[in-house]
Amino acid sequence: MNNLVILPILIPFLMGVILIFTNKRLSVSRTISVLTALAMLASASYLTYVVYTDGIMALELGNWEAPFGIVLVGDLLSSSLVAVSSLLAVSTLFFIFQTFDEEREKAYFYPFFFFLMTGVNGSFLTGDLFNLFVFFEVMLLSSFILISMGGKKSQLSESLKYVIINTVSSLVFIIGIAYLYAVTGTLNMADLSVKVAELGQEGVLNVIALVFLFIFGVKSALFPLYYWLPKSYVEPPTAIAALFGGLLTKVGVYTILRTYTLIFNQSSEIYFILIVLGGLTMFIGVLGAVSQFDFKRILSVHIVSQVGYMIMGIGINSTIAIAGVFYFLIHNIIVKSALFFFAGATEKVTGTSHLKKMSGLLKTHPYLGWTFFIAAISLAGIPPLSGFVGKFILIVAGFMEGNYFVIAVSLATGLLTLFSMMKIFMTSFWGEVKLPKPEAENVKVGSLIAPIVPLLIFTIVLGVAAEPFYQFSLELAEQIINPEHYVNSVLKE
Amino acid sequence: MSLLHLVVLAPFLLAILIPFLYKKFRHIHTGWFVLGLPLVLFIYFLTFLPEISGGGAVQETVPWIPSLGIDFTVFVDGLGLLFALLITGIGTLVVLYSIYYIANKKDEPLNNFYVYLLMFMGAMLGVVLSDNLMVVYVFWETTSLASMLLIGYWFHKERSRYGAQKSMLITVFGGFSMLAGFTLLYVMTETFSIREIIAQTDVIASHELFLPAMLLILLGAFTKSAQFPFHIWLPDAMEAPTPVSAYLHSATMVKAGIYLVARMTPVFGGEPQWFWLLSGFGIFTLLWGSVSAVRQKDLKAILAFSTISQLGMIMTLLGLGSAAVHFDLANGETLYTTAILAAVFHLINHATFKGSLFMVVGIVDHETGTRDIRNLGGLMTLMPITATAALIGTFSMAGLPPFNGFLSKEMFFTGVLNATTLDLFNMQTWGLIFPVIAWIASIFTFAYCMIMFFKTFTGKHQPEKLKKQAHEAPMGMLIGPVILASLVVVFGLFPNVLSYSIIEPVMRSILPSLVSDGGEFYVNIYHWHGPNTELMMTIGVVIFGSLVYLNLKRWQEAAFFLKERDPLNWLYDNSLVWLIDGATWVNDLQLTGRLRDYMAYMFVFFAGFMAWGLFYFDAIAIDLENTAPISTYIFVLVAVLILATISIPFINHRITAIIVVGVIGFLLALLFVVFRAPDLALTQLLVETVMVVMFLLVFYHLPELKKESFKPTMKISNLAISIAVGVFASLTALSAHAFSYENPVDAISNYFIENAYTLAGGNNMVNVILVDFRGLDTLLEVLVLAIAALGIVVLVKYTAKGRENL
Repeated sequence: MNNLVILPILIPFLMGVILIFTNKRLSVSRTISVLTALAMLASASYLTYVVYTDGIMALELGNWEAPFGIVLVGDLLSSSLVAVSSLLAVSTLFFIFQTFDEEREKAYFYPFFFFLMTGVNGSFLTGDLFNLFVFFEVMLLSSFILISMGGKKSQLSESLKYVIINTVSSLVFIIGIAYLYAVTGTLNMADLSVKVAELGQEGVLNVIALVFLFIFGVKSALFPLYYWLPKSYVEPPTAIAALFGGLLTKVGVYTILRTYTLIFNQSSEIYFILIVLGGLTMFIGVLGAVSQFDFKRILSVHIVSQVGYMIMGIGINSTIAIAGVFYFLIHNIIVKSALFFFAGATEKVTGTSHLKKMSGLLKTHPYLGWTFFIAAISLAGIPPLSGFVGKFILIVAGFMEGNYFVIAVSLATGLLTLFSMMKIFMTSFWGEVKLPKPEAENVKVGSLIAPIVPLLIFTIVLGVAAEPFYQFSLELAEQIINPEHYVNSVLKE
Repeated sequence: MSLLHLVVLAPFLLAILIPFLYKKFRHIHTGWFVLGLPLVLFIYFLTFLPEISGGGAVQETVPWIPSLGIDFTVFVDGLGLLFALLITGIGTLVVLYSIYYIANKKDEPLNNFYVYLLMFMGAMLGVVLSDNLMVVYVFWETTSLASMLLIGYWFHKERSRYGAQKSMLITVFGGFSMLAGFTLLYVMTETFSIREIIAQTDVIASHELFLPAMLLILLGAFTKSAQFPFHIWLPDAMEAPTPVSAYLHSATMVKAGIYLVARMTPVFGGEPQWFWLLSGFGIFTLLWGSVSAVRQKDLKAILAFSTISQLGMIMTLLGLGSAAVHFDLANGETLYTTAILAAVFHLINHATFKGSLFMVVGIVDHETGTRDIRNLGGLMTLMPITATAALIGTFSMAGLPPFNGFLSKEMFFTGVLNATTLDLFNMQTWGLIFPVIAWIASIFTFAYCMIMFFKTFTGKHQPEKLKKQAHEAPMGMLIGPVILASLVVVFGLFPNVLSYSIIEPVMRSILPSLVSDGGEFYVNIYHWHGPNTELMMTIGVVIFGSLVYLNLKRWQEAAFFLKERDPLNWLYDNSLVWLIDGATWVNDLQLTGRLRDYMAYMFVFFAGFMAWGLFYFDAIAIDLENTAPISTYIFVLVAVLILATISIPFINHRITAIIVVGVIGFLLALLFVVFRAPDLALTQLLVETVMVVMFLLVFYHLPELKKESFKPTMKISNLAISIAVGVFASLTALSAHAFSYENPVDAISNYFIENAYTLAGGNNMVNVILVDFRGLDTLLEVLVLAIAALGIVVLVKYTAKGRENL
């Protein structure tokens, strides 16, 4: 039964390989892709269900017992994140079918897509620090190809920055693993948790914790490590940006959440640093959004800002805070991708993503306008949508732990988020009808909105029917904040 | 889910249907489908009157997010019912009015209009009928949102967009503050239920979060109810269609702040800060609004500032009245409850006369095409019914008998006069300013009321300045203002129909502690109190107000009165500019687009981070005792390696550079050999060979190697960063090593050493780890290589024509 844990990794991996061979036959590739994504979603959902009913599930690969071999661990956090990522993959595929030209699809697009998903799912599920590094590499390389695919000059220059900055972080990752192995003599995360607790998290172990914060900080795009992000998300096609925006930084956030609750969970100074970095990230990120006038640019810097909220929540470090972080994480994956899809749909209509070059879209494309509006105010944390609930839980947690200042910063950030999202709405959707090309008025986008609708329903349900999801988050947070659950399931003590 | 919940949610449910009804029955004005709902709800709420008047309350609960203390509890008491009646009652009239005001033209998006309006109606009912603060908040933000959408209803107009953005930013700012305030209350009391919080008032009053919570909640109330200096959004909100202005921006939504203050009085009332903030900001807003109103030329702008001013007046009364909790009703001390009574009564009166005045102005605008008093005049004979309604409305607002405005104005004067006798909160010193400011503000109020009426309806008719031929409005448009104007008269002549049916229950909600032992407020409103100070003040107001009006020509030329725009707008507009400029500056500072800057920032952070960690956690421990002996040839090897690395930046010739890089690689391989890792050395050798061969292969195609020139400061700073990173990384490595010697652990490598042969059947331990113990890593690294290979194929072969097939 434990083999279930590896399915969300194995499915995209194997199917990705098969898709290399069906590359020339588009309809076959598309069919396989959808089936694969659905299979991934099904296995991940089932995994979440099983973990929810039976508890944390660990798989020792090659039957080498932990902590010596590699383990994959499905707990509530990792399995539900895999499920949401898979859902996003399904939505993205349907969006891709309509926005990509066939040439691009035939450029081995689908294999890369699923290799990326392999990396993402693997990063969530692995219980081994070095294995995490390897999944990061899978993710990094496939995302690099997805960004640079097409070979435009601007694409190449941005993807080069992306890959170099991330490679540096990989390098530091290796160094960090070396440091940590020198001190603890193990790579298994559960075992690390035990060893760090035995040694007492002090002295050089805290410095090593900071090194890992740097590494994961680059991945999750914290200030001042986020420079690879804003432009590299503008260059690739919207569907890719949506997938990246939804997933890549969230993997970073997940690793921070995992590391600083499971392994380095004893230093209040490091939690304080997380709060400070979270506050800086959210505020400086949103300033980027305030100053921009490009649809996709605004969305990409918002990713940075929203990551700040989650890091702040991890720093607050209470059961409610972790529940809030999870809620926010799920909300953000869904809404952020939806917004990128809207950017794509808008671009399909007008041929531009520059806000000042279009106006009055609400009159010509009311459905596009209103569905965008829902996603936009959800991002800004206006009730009763998911963004509000996530933010609210974090506020409660922050006040309960006495972190008043950072909560004030987060509220200010929320207001600026609303400001920048409404800037999009008021500039491009309101106003006299003025579109860059005359035929724009008649461009139909219904089929592009369709794959976004499930995401919108999700954000509404997460807001209006929050109780069951919040209960789930609390249970999950309980599991996270008490690492012995995780440790015992992996080390079978 | 009870009927009451359904009632609150009914407008939302109808809102969902509206777009379909609009599409399906295009020839019928969509307003007709809406009209029935507020009417039915109004009648439904009327049925609560007997019970509520008897001092009762009705409540129904549905859990929403119980784990966070959020239940959707609908709670109807006097205060809630009064507002519910206002919302549904005026709502009915406004919807009827709007049917005639907004014509059913071909591309008029009536569906939008009524969806927003219903959204607002439901949200507003939710605000006033919820017991749970978070539910209040959720509905509160929904009203802000609906208000923004309604202000931007004609979104092709630039002014509408400006007004919409402004109202949204200011009210949502207040909303977010309020959210923080509510959460602080939750942290203190562990409940969001208002009644449960009230029950714990004495516990929380001494809490350190009490004052912050109060301030944050007041921010919410002040922004929503347009108190100085947040009032600037209200005049710009007048870009909304007039029915909206009548409904949201005078009768209901802007009173949400008043509602909140009244609702929270049992919690915060009696505190000096509460008393002073409310009465201070209130009285200043009263003055500011009335003075600003006098200089407006647009009828709606006059009404907007008048609304601001009147809201300030109600706020003042609630502030002064909050002192009442320090007194005992049983001893007949009604001195301060009068202020609360006045607040409640004036709230009702204001809704009636201001609602009717807005509709009147809408009619004038609709039938003449302008709202500018300089172009209007002499409409009395052309629009007699409208003029009558306007007369009643303005005279009531000016505080003249026999209208309801006179009664509440007199009570307001009583309230501020009583306040001077208060021996609490330093009022002995400052008390006198209240009647003085109140009196001055009333003079201006009187003046703008006269301007509004006489400039519009008397004087010379100027048809050439009007866009349309002026005539009386259609019946449907007149119903609303006429009903409201008759209420002005009815409440003026028979104020006591309200006394115990609604006002007394509302006062019970605001000051529950005074009647907790079964007492009751004494509410008796009448015209003639004898020749007292209040009457003298009123007479003074009439005299001086008339003087101001009659000398209009003289002072209207003054510079102060020529500026119509509120000076505070300068602050708002510039703040937005500063915000965007500042944000751009911060952004440009970091996102230079140059990789070398990014790397510099990141490494500075990295080095700083590690340095701080090493020192703060006292982690530096260098222990060379336990290191392996280093032979001389290793020193030589490393020295050459370092020299080769350092030389690279100074090489200007590509082939030399390639060779030196190759040398570094081979030296590294040698180092691996020295450290007894032949397989690594072999790999390294292969990689290096391939690299050099590759470089040479593409050499011919590479462009000239250009020497980049950097400023010396940059070179030095980069050098410093590099050294810092190297030093701190090495220090950490040495410290980790020392730490591990002090605190030895059983490393997993022992397991591999012991079991590589016995369990995995291999003598080469590294190989066994790679292919067996940690086989997944290797498999994935293979995948990485495959991705890279395939990626190169794609990069070479595929060039996108467009960005995507859009």
